[in-house]
This record gives sequence, C-alpha cells and structure tokens, in this order.
Amino acid sequence: MDGFLISQADKRPMYLQIMEQIKQRIAVGDWAEGQQIPSIRQLSVDLQVSVITVKRAYLELEREGVIVTRHGKGSQVAEGVDLGIQLREAELDQHLEQAAKLGAMLGMTSRDLEKRLRSVVEKSVEKELP
Amino acid sequence: MNDFAVQFQGVSKRYKYFTLDNIDLQLPVGQVMGLIGQNGAGKSTTIRILMGLVHQDEGQVQVLGRHMPEEQIAAKWDIGFTSEDLRLYDAMTLEWHMGFIRSIYSTWDAEYAKLLLKRFGLVAEQKMKGLSHGQRVKAALLLVLARRPRLLVLDEPTTGLDPVARHEILRELTGAMADEECSILFSSHNTQDVEQISDQIAFLDRGRLIDSSDKETYLDRWRRLRLEVPAGIGLPALRGVIAVKQEGRIAIATANAFEADLPNAYERTGARVQRVENMTLEEIFVANVEHSREDVNV
Amino acid sequence: MNAQTSVVRQMVWKDIQMHRKLMASLMIFGAAGLGLFLVKREPYTVLGGIALFTALILTSAFVPGSNILNERKRQTLPFLMSLPISAIQYTTAKLLSTVGMFLIPWTTLVIAAIWMIAVEGVLPHGAIPMALMLLTLPFVNVCGITAMNLVGETEGWNGAAQVIFNSVPGVIWYLITLSPALTRDLGSSQAVWNPTVLTFLGSEFAVIVLILALTYYLQSRKRDFV
Repeated sequence: MDGFLISQADKRPMYLQIMEQIKQRIAVGDWAEGQQIPSIRQLSVDLQVSVITVKRAYLELEREGVIVTRHGKGSQVAEGVDLGIQLREAELDQHLEQAAKLGAMLGMTSRDLEKRLRSVVEKSVEKELP
Repeated sequence: MNDFAVQFQGVSKRYKYFTLDNIDLQLPVGQVMGLIGQNGAGKSTTIRILMGLVHQDEGQVQVLGRHMPEEQIAAKWDIGFTSEDLRLYDAMTLEWHMGFIRSIYSTWDAEYAKLLLKRFGLVAEQKMKGLSHGQRVKAALLLVLARRPRLLVLDEPTTGLDPVARHEILRELTGAMADEECSILFSSHNTQDVEQISDQIAFLDRGRLIDSSDKETYLDRWRRLRLEVPAGIGLPALRGVIAVKQEGRIAIATANAFEADLPNAYERTGARVQRVENMTLEEIFVANVEHSREDVNV
Repeated sequence: MNAQTSVVRQMVWKDIQMHRKLMASLMIFGAAGLGLFLVKREPYTVLGGIALFTALILTSAFVPGSNILNERKRQTLPFLMSLPISAIQYTTAKLLSTVGMFLIPWTTLVIAAIWMIAVEGVLPHGAIPMALMLLTLPFVNVCGITAMNLVGETEGWNGAAQVIFNSVPGVIWYLITLSPALTRDLGSSQAVWNPTVLTFLGSEFAVIVLILALTYYLQSRKRDFV
C-alpha cells in the first residue's frame, strides 16, 4: 500500500488520517466508483495499524456514504455521481468553515470576509499567470 | 471454543514490596492488547501469571480457554512467549535454536522462518553470543513467530531497539494479525507502539489497573483544551476534567471524559477556548499516572 | 502424553548437547583410566582407579551447577518454561540429564572395578559387596547435589550441597570399617551377601528414592517458578 502513510507528526487521530487518504484516492480517481477496496484486516496489515482503527475509519466512511460494506463481499467505493467532486467540495466547506471561525475571532463581518476572499483569489490568479 | 484469548478475574499477587491488586482483563480472540505502565507497575508480573510461570494468590486466569496455572502445559502449546529478560543459549547458533523449537512444535513454518531471517537481517549460523541486543530480540521473536501460535505474549518486545528494528518487528506483529484467530498481548512503555497497533489498552500503575478500554474509545475520551481566562474569572471544576494548569491568563485543561459540550461549558463561564487538541498516548500516560496518584493520596 | 515425553526428551538431549565438550573429555578420561587399569600392574592400576574416581568427583562437582544453575544465571529459564512443560517435567528433565551425564564416568568405574575383581582377580571376590557399597555412594551424592541445586536454585545451595555430600562418604567409610558384619568376609574367595550388606545397599537405594521424592514435592510447591 504505497502512498498510504500514517504520520505521527500529524496530530490528528489515525482513523481520520486513514479516512482522508482513502477519500483522496477516490477524489483523484485512483479508486473508482464501485471498486473493491482492501478488507479491514488487509489494510490494517498493510498500514501496520490496529484493526480497530481501520474499522472505525471504514465505519465513518460508510456513514458518510463514501464506501459501502456488504456482508461477505467486503467493501467497495460507493456508487454516486461525481463522488470525487463531492469530496473535494466537502473539503472546501471544511476550509471555509475554518476561515469563517478565524474571521469571527478577528471580528470581521461576512462582507469583510468576502472582500478578503476575493483579494486572495485575485492574488493567486496573478501568481499563476506566466 | 472461547471468545476470549485471555481472561483475568480478580487476580492478585502479593510480594514483599509489591502487590498486584485485583486485576480484571479481557482480550477477545483476534485482537491486540497493549499493557502500558512504568517499570515496576506490574506488567511483567501480570504476564508471568498469564503464562503460568507465577501462581496468583487470588483470582481466575484463563488463557485460550485454559485455566492457569493448572493447565499451563496445554496452553503453552499454543502460546509464543518472549520477554525482555529472556535469553537464548550463548554457545549455540540460531540455527540450533530453530531446530530445537522445530523438534518440539509441529506448527513450525520453515518458509516463514527463512523469510523472517531475511527480513530481520539475521544469520542462522551465527552463535547467539555474537549478536547485538537488537538481533537477539529479533532472534527470540523469530523463534516464536515461525511457529504461528494462536497467542503471542510479548513482554517489552521493542524496548531498547533502534527505530528500524522496531519497525521490522511491528511489521511482523501486524502481519501475524492477518490471521483472525491470532491474538497478541504485549507490554511496553513505548506508548507509540501501543498506540499504533493495539486494539485494546490496559493501563497499570503500582500494581493496580487504572484503565482498561478499547484504544479508539480511550483516545477519544482525552483532550487538552487551551483556554484564555479573562481577569477576575475563576475556572470552575467541570465534569470530565481531571487537571487544570493555569498561569496568569493562560490555562490548560486536561479532560479524560471529553464530551462535545465541554468547550461550550468553558465558554459559558467566560473563558475562551483557543484550541481543543487530541493527546498522544504518551501524554495521556503521564497525565493519567499523575491523576491516579493524586486520587489515592500518594 | 506422547508429546510431553518428547519435550522432556528434547530437553535432556539439549542438555547433553550443551555439555558435549565435557562429555567428550569425560569419555576420553574414562577410556584412559580404564586402559591404565587393564595393564594390571602397579602403579598403573592405582593410577587408573584414581583417574576414574577423579572423573567421578569432577562430574558431580561441576555438572549440577553448569546444567542447572546456569539456566537461571544466564536467564535462559524463561525460554525453557515457555515451552509446553510444567515445573515438574522440567525437574525430571534436569534430573535425567544431570544424573545421566554422571553415569558415564560412574558406569565405567563400576564396570572396571567389578571386572578387575570378578574376572581378573585383583582382589578376592569377597570384596565385591564392599566395592558395590562404596561405589554407590557417589551415585547417592550426585542425586543429592542435583536435588539441592534444583530446589535451592543458588550458588549458596550448591556450595552447601557439595560440602555436605562430599564429606558424608568419609564418615560412612569410617563407620563401615567399624562394622564386623561388613568387613568380616572381605578376604573370602566368594562374595558374601549377608543381611547387613543387603540392608546397607537397600538403604542407599532408599536414600536416593527419598531425595527424589523430596525434590518433586518441594518443586511442586513452588509458586514463583520463574
């Protein structure tokens, strides 16, 4: 399982890291919709991580509708339109939530926040132009 | 036969200067249990009692469905044991040891043994006295792993090892878990290893079991909250918080029974929650020991 | 039980393998002593006898310590006890291998002595019972020393055992010389097995049995074996 890495430097719980990395694989298309994914035990062996952690990650992913586990058939990536995009959008929302929180801490109104977002987008577009 | 690989009920053992007091433990088949505690907390005693090498003064011990120490012979056919203070025969080679074990156990997997030699970087023809500490630990582990026992009982399997050796060992231990019937009980004061591969955690301190839980739930119960406390506000004792350290306006609260509402509870008192952090098992270890010693008024 | 006897057997074999160099030197020593003995002329006979007897003493002084105490000193005992055996079976294995290793020089000496008397006629046949009585003493000794090592587990106990069991033969020897029933027929041309002789031999055997019984009893009562 090259490409999977549980980092100790990452302070988040292991199961979250696993979830994120599975979602990433789906988002970039390495794991296609409906594709069989490693069993809990197999992934636990490959990642050298406890079964209970992988199990938790899979349960959460199933709850989020990202994967589906069928008794006796293992787990597969869920079928869903543009799952990759959905995941990216969920990721975006997370970042935006954080930005909103920080903005609130700084005492910004939502208009201030919008203005700031716009200027950031413009600056990053400038950077990408040749 | 039995759903549990290991069961301790009310186990006690009294020594002159140390008492193991009323230990209850359960390890379901197919899972990994990490025993953590300081040196002298009782980990080795617990493991010795598990192996039938030491007889408990009180309580029941069942390993793979067998009562210990009475049925230790039957149990030991299915158990692989190694310990930090265990040595192999200096004057003999690793190959000789492999032959010795093979002559006793019919479950010896010669192919796997050969693979382990390669993975662990060991030379079978070498005498044990020529091996470094790390190599000896790996050799003892090889003898146990190649038998594919139903239960691995390991007393400090990674203590004193360099990161590469530790990684090699953890790889084989988690590899062994590919077999659903295989269970592992190991003790360590290396919390990283326990955090990484354990399904269950048991926490010993001074002969008492101060915590026993599945790992994910356990890690989830602990949080560190960084607070900013305005002048004139005293932080109340909140449920689930076991320690608060404050200097000036900055406070750090350690919670061992975290609930989603806790940050709000602090905010309602006027303090500001700057950050809520998960804690590593090492941080939990220290906080837990400090807390439990306070409790007993030591 | 087949698997069990096999584990004990493997452990006895292991002990012998670990002492293979010692075993080899004992056999050479024994063969040399026997060879000297068979020259049938003084001083070679005496030298041969001394060589064989020395091998005997050295074995009972050295083997119990190296075979038993070392398991604890070198910390290999947890390894052995993690095998599918009980403390009792461990005791059996150690008794068998320790006394077994002693048997090599001992049997050689007994055969040599009896041969010299019965076949070669170096001494009158009346000496045979006495020879047996005296030769059985080192056997009792090694059982006692082994037992004390197993139960006591320390160098201190080994030392005490060596002192006790190596001084006892001297006392017994003296007592024997005082007994007319035992010394009366030394010179006769036939071996005389009178009741006193038989009682003496029987007692030696009984002591061995007692030592073993006590050993097993005490070992079974240990609650912290490792």
